[in-house]
Amino acid sequence: METEVTRSFLPLAAFLLPLAGAVLTMPLRRISARVRDITLLALTALAASVAVWLAARVAGGAVYEIYILQLTPDIWMYLRVDALGALFGATVAVLWMLALVYSWGYMAEGHRLGRYYSFFMLSLAWTMGVAYSGNLLTFLIFYELFSILTYPLVVHEQTPEAMAAGTKYIIYILVGGSLVLLAIVLTYFAAGDQTLTTGGILSAEIGQQRLFAIFWCYIAGFGVKAALVPLHGWVPDAHPAAPAPFSAVLSGVMVAAGSFGIMRVLFQVFGVELLREMGVMSMITILAGFTVLFAAVLAVNQDNLKRRLAYSTISQMAYVVLGVSLLGFDSTIGAIIHVTNHAFMKGGLFLCAGLFIRRLGVHRVSQLDGAAKRMPITAAGFAIAALGMIGTPPLSGFVSKWYLGLGMLETGNPLLLVVLLGGALLAAVYLLPIVYRMYFREPVLTADDKITAEGREAPASMLVPLVIVTLLTIALGLSASLPGMPVSLARMAAETFFH
Amino acid sequence: MDGAHVASEVVHTAAEVAHVTASPLPVLLVLVPLLGAALVYPLGRRWPKVRDAWVVVIAALTLLGATGLIPLIAEHHRVESVVHMLIGTLSFSVDSFSMLFAVFTSFIWLASTLYSLDYLKHEQKHDRYHTTSLVVLAAMLGVVLAGDLITLYLCFEALGLVAFLFVIHTETDDAKKASIKYFWMTVVGGFALIGGIFLTFALGGTGAIGPLPAGHGDELIRWAAAIMLILGFGVKAGMVPVHVWLPDAHPVAPSPASALLSGVMIKAGAYGIFRVVTGIFRPEVAETIEESLWHFSEQLGLAVLWIGIATMAIGVFLALQQSNAKRMLAYHSVSQMGFILAGIGAAGYLGSHGAMGVAGGLFHVVNHALFKACLFLGVGAVYFRTHSLDMYHLGGLWKKMPLTFLFTLIAAMGITGVPLLNGFVSKCLIHHAIVEAWEYRHLASLGIAEKIYIVTCGGTAASFIKLIGLVFLGKPKVEYGPEVKDAPKRMLVAMAALSVAIITLGLRPQILLKGVFQPGLHTWGLHGDLLDYYLEHYFLSPPDLMSVVVAFALGFTIFFVGMRFGLFHLHGPKWLSIDWWYRRLARGLIASCVSTDRAYEAVRSATSRFMRRTLSEYGGMAIRVGRRRRLLVATLLTGAPGARDQHFIQHAYVTLERERQDAVRRAVAQTIEKLHSPGDETAVVDETAYLDAVRDIAGYMAQRLMTERMGVLSDLTRTGDLQAARAPFEAVRSELTRVYRPIAETAIANAPRRMRGESVTREVAAAVNAILSNERFDLLIASAIPQARQALGQALEIGASVRHGLPPRSAIQAARADGLSALERAAAWSIEMLALVVDALTRERTGRLMDRPIDETTVLGTRLGIQRYARDIGLNVTVLLVLLLAFIGALALR
Repeated sequence: METEVTRSFLPLAAFLLPLAGAVLTMPLRRISARVRDITLLALTALAASVAVWLAARVAGGAVYEIYILQLTPDIWMYLRVDALGALFGATVAVLWMLALVYSWGYMAEGHRLGRYYSFFMLSLAWTMGVAYSGNLLTFLIFYELFSILTYPLVVHEQTPEAMAAGTKYIIYILVGGSLVLLAIVLTYFAAGDQTLTTGGILSAEIGQQRLFAIFWCYIAGFGVKAALVPLHGWVPDAHPAAPAPFSAVLSGVMVAAGSFGIMRVLFQVFGVELLREMGVMSMITILAGFTVLFAAVLAVNQDNLKRRLAYSTISQMAYVVLGVSLLGFDSTIGAIIHVTNHAFMKGGLFLCAGLFIRRLGVHRVSQLDGAAKRMPITAAGFAIAALGMIGTPPLSGFVSKWYLGLGMLETGNPLLLVVLLGGALLAAVYLLPIVYRMYFREPVLTADDKITAEGREAPASMLVPLVIVTLLTIALGLSASLPGMPVSLARMAAETFFH
Repeated sequence: MDGAHVASEVVHTAAEVAHVTASPLPVLLVLVPLLGAALVYPLGRRWPKVRDAWVVVIAALTLLGATGLIPLIAEHHRVESVVHMLIGTLSFSVDSFSMLFAVFTSFIWLASTLYSLDYLKHEQKHDRYHTTSLVVLAAMLGVVLAGDLITLYLCFEALGLVAFLFVIHTETDDAKKASIKYFWMTVVGGFALIGGIFLTFALGGTGAIGPLPAGHGDELIRWAAAIMLILGFGVKAGMVPVHVWLPDAHPVAPSPASALLSGVMIKAGAYGIFRVVTGIFRPEVAETIEESLWHFSEQLGLAVLWIGIATMAIGVFLALQQSNAKRMLAYHSVSQMGFILAGIGAAGYLGSHGAMGVAGGLFHVVNHALFKACLFLGVGAVYFRTHSLDMYHLGGLWKKMPLTFLFTLIAAMGITGVPLLNGFVSKCLIHHAIVEAWEYRHLASLGIAEKIYIVTCGGTAASFIKLIGLVFLGKPKVEYGPEVKDAPKRMLVAMAALSVAIITLGLRPQILLKGVFQPGLHTWGLHGDLLDYYLEHYFLSPPDLMSVVVAFALGFTIFFVGMRFGLFHLHGPKWLSIDWWYRRLARGLIASCVSTDRAYEAVRSATSRFMRRTLSEYGGMAIRVGRRRRLLVATLLTGAPGARDQHFIQHAYVTLERERQDAVRRAVAQTIEKLHSPGDETAVVDETAYLDAVRDIAGYMAQRLMTERMGVLSDLTRTGDLQAARAPFEAVRSELTRVYRPIAETAIANAPRRMRGESVTREVAAAVNAILSNERFDLLIASAIPQARQALGQALEIGASVRHGLPPRSAIQAARADGLSALERAAAWSIEMLALVVDALTRERTGRLMDRPIDETTVLGTRLGIQRYARDIGLNVTVLLVLLLAFIGALALR
């Protein structure tokens, strides 16, 4: 495949724009909250359009790169936009922009908004950096920054639960981050700091044991963020504690950043052939398959809506790792697009959860009876996202599951269909009863909660993001085969991995 | 028929049969109802009448489009259109059979829609009903027109999920229960279906609805794929044992919706099974057909045939037990699907000679759609007027509702297979197919199947004799008022249209047999001439008529015996019901999820408790270790105090402690004396509190003094001059008592303020400092201390005086309050910081003033931190130094 590498400032711009937003948050508040909000939105929208434009160009065969900073004579900070990164970057930026708009309504009565917004923008900047990193050290820098500096967002509410969840988060993330650091250092000594372009920079010559050490350090390190099952503990606590717009991005793209890291490392550090030689991927397959089912089983019994969604995230993100671990062409496509599709679906679900919390004061599934009568648009958004999550055609979730299923057959594992379909069935079991409750149960109104029977729909600033993610869920499914859509980018990425 | 499948028999090649043309019509057929549905809500909100007209027009347009397929198919055999959507493309491909399904679907839909306009007056949410109806119509057409498995699956899922709204439409408790069961079975069926579709890819399929290539995949996957596909479609088709949702869901829907559910929608499942058995698992036409390739489809066909037989028998048996008319009809839907499956199964079993089975099965699909829809509409009309569905409570309605009676009777005659009506033809065709299947290999079991078939026909007859007899004939159980009259016109028109179709097909079966099935079979390369043979030799022949007579004789017998002996109200034990087992299974699954979660939570919380305990233990240990380490540092830096030093320090401590207590005691005594002296003017309200305040202040000051003195002594320990200080210490003991007086005075002076809760720290600290500088305990005892140390002491003294010389903090604070310029503020701040620094640096010598919590806790914390750090860094530097030395040594030795 022909690729033309272009030097361009755009990747840097996609990173710097939100960073500028973070810096400007406090000064702009001096002028007025409105100015701050509009400026932040403008910056994020600009970053998002840059990211989407880059994705479109990359889908057309271009590759962008920029050297930012020379750290040592050997080491550069280096951004490079390839198909995998472009898709992830576009997903991140768009979802973040929507969550930002949603924050206006959600955080309207919140405290410490300056801190919230500036860290929100900072996280976006780091995540864009993660998406566009061109070598391992750049990746490491952004990855660690974004892991650690999201802590203020996790504990934003500063309730005892939030603080406890934050502590848990930071411990897990630091341990995972250290392992990633260790792995990258080991990689550096084994292979030097090469750009992440070829299909693997490690070679079997460095010895089996060192390869295994590096491999497991990466898997354990990124596995914490990607919430593979023994390492998932922070996810179900962090999500209910965080503010809803942040939960949306936390679930939608931050957990996915772990999976993204795994993809980067497996395909571009190890390379498909080396991994096949090592023969370790079957263990990852088992781990991921177990995660899919186990987390989904746990989700069934959660009464706290956001907690249930958090378990769902663990289950769904394991699909990505599962798809990667099969080392099949189609399954890799499925894994890559599932990151994007899941981001918008789960983002939508969390936005709905936030609306229920803000408008109805409801945190629990069992209190959602009859919510559709009061919040018809929200309920519709929830229903569509839930169906997408299960993999109902023609929504986007179906497309990713389809490719994953094809990949399973392609690599000769028809039994894994049990995991694929079982996970989807369990998703139906934990999501659809909520939809049923919302639509077909009568609301139980007690005297002391001042819930009126009708007319509780949220302000437009909260509904518009929800509507947009819902439309994206539908559109990404319907138009999956068109050029420039996630599938084509994922196909390009997979072609470079499996060239 | 010898049944030998040899290559020469297959006369057509793919090139000959492939007449394909592209046309947008199939896509339009799906899109028109879908777009029509989009307008239902906006129209219905403003103009309900316009909306009613609109939905009828859309249904009529769809029917028109579907009939438009007929000439296209006649000319080209296959019409295709492709939309770029979803994964790659959605393709629609119409052959004769798809066309047949499309035509009868849209025909019955039109009838039902017309009927629903009046019927829905009972119901709420008309807009939702009509939207659902049109979307489901689009999905249904999508299913039958689909050209590949993905499109089929997409439409099938849409059909299943949206039809949920039909089932739950009335939103009664029954409807909710039924809809939940319906929904979960649809979802599970959908998963089975997609799993099966995936597996066809493992078998080398491309997603096309056509024969899988030979030689891919093993037998196990082939069976798994077939079972999952048939299960997936079978759920919708009401196939035993996954039929349990159907008898609950169909009766609770509004009658026109029941007609659609039972008449049309379950045919989507039948269509799927038809395509699976005779399409996907059929060997490729153009290939050289060998015995082994047909083997699988033969086995599959046999399995489906038996499923069909079981379905028809169980369905009829359960139908006879019902008293609710719609529920009975629903069970008959199950039973009639059994007929269809038996026909399709026979077709699969007979392979290239399966024309009779295909024709019988599909003819029965059309017939059942017509008469079951008509029956539901008829019973619905009865319900519309009488609001009762219990057959045992109705009766004699033929006089009140003659036209309804007529149409229902025609439909009932159709379903029971009365000659000259449509059911007769298809039932005979299926019967012939089963007989042929038996003759093919002379399997004894198929002989039994044939007998069961006849008995089932008898049961069907009994059941409808019961329906007609109890509801329309017989004596009225209650007096009906004038409101019980024939149904409204539009409902009658709908029923009439269906009845006409029933009679037409009964009289002229050639329309379908020659017009649709023969060309369709021809494109597959199967032997369509069997159907000619049927029309010439079997249609209305004496043996076939005899079988109808036998069935009716059986029917009357069952009816009278059943009514006489109450056999229609049997209730088996609940474990006999499949439904009960499904419920247990579902509950068990949920319960296992819940208990998994509980177990996980228990393990998790136990682990985290364990970890927390370990952590706190570790934390305690860390603190202890830290304390030891600091001790070690101090010892390393200053050396351990010797035994003699230790003894002297203890001695000094006891002495100084006594001094301290004496000082406090003296202050208190002096206070009491002052209070009780006659010249005292201070009016003290609370004596005890006053004394407490004095004791506090004096205690603090004495403590400070003691600490200072001990500090001086321990400094001497560090420098090793302690022994030299022994004699002076003993000598100055009397000097120490000089501080009693100032302490007492300060305490008394400040006690009232302290009582009021004000801070007296500054004053007291100042007094202590004054006492300290007057006393110079260190000079008193340090006669032997080297000059250099004294110089250091002086330097520190200067520091202390600088500190005292700086503007007091209160002044700075006051200045800040006055609103100074930024520069002045910065200067003030710098001075304050400088003061803090100087304070911190000199504090060690001048004593720990802040023994109590004060306002600037942070300052205190910082200071302590600095002190500790300074001490610790000493150790670190030492360790580094040692390491460095060791390193240098190692290098030097090399």
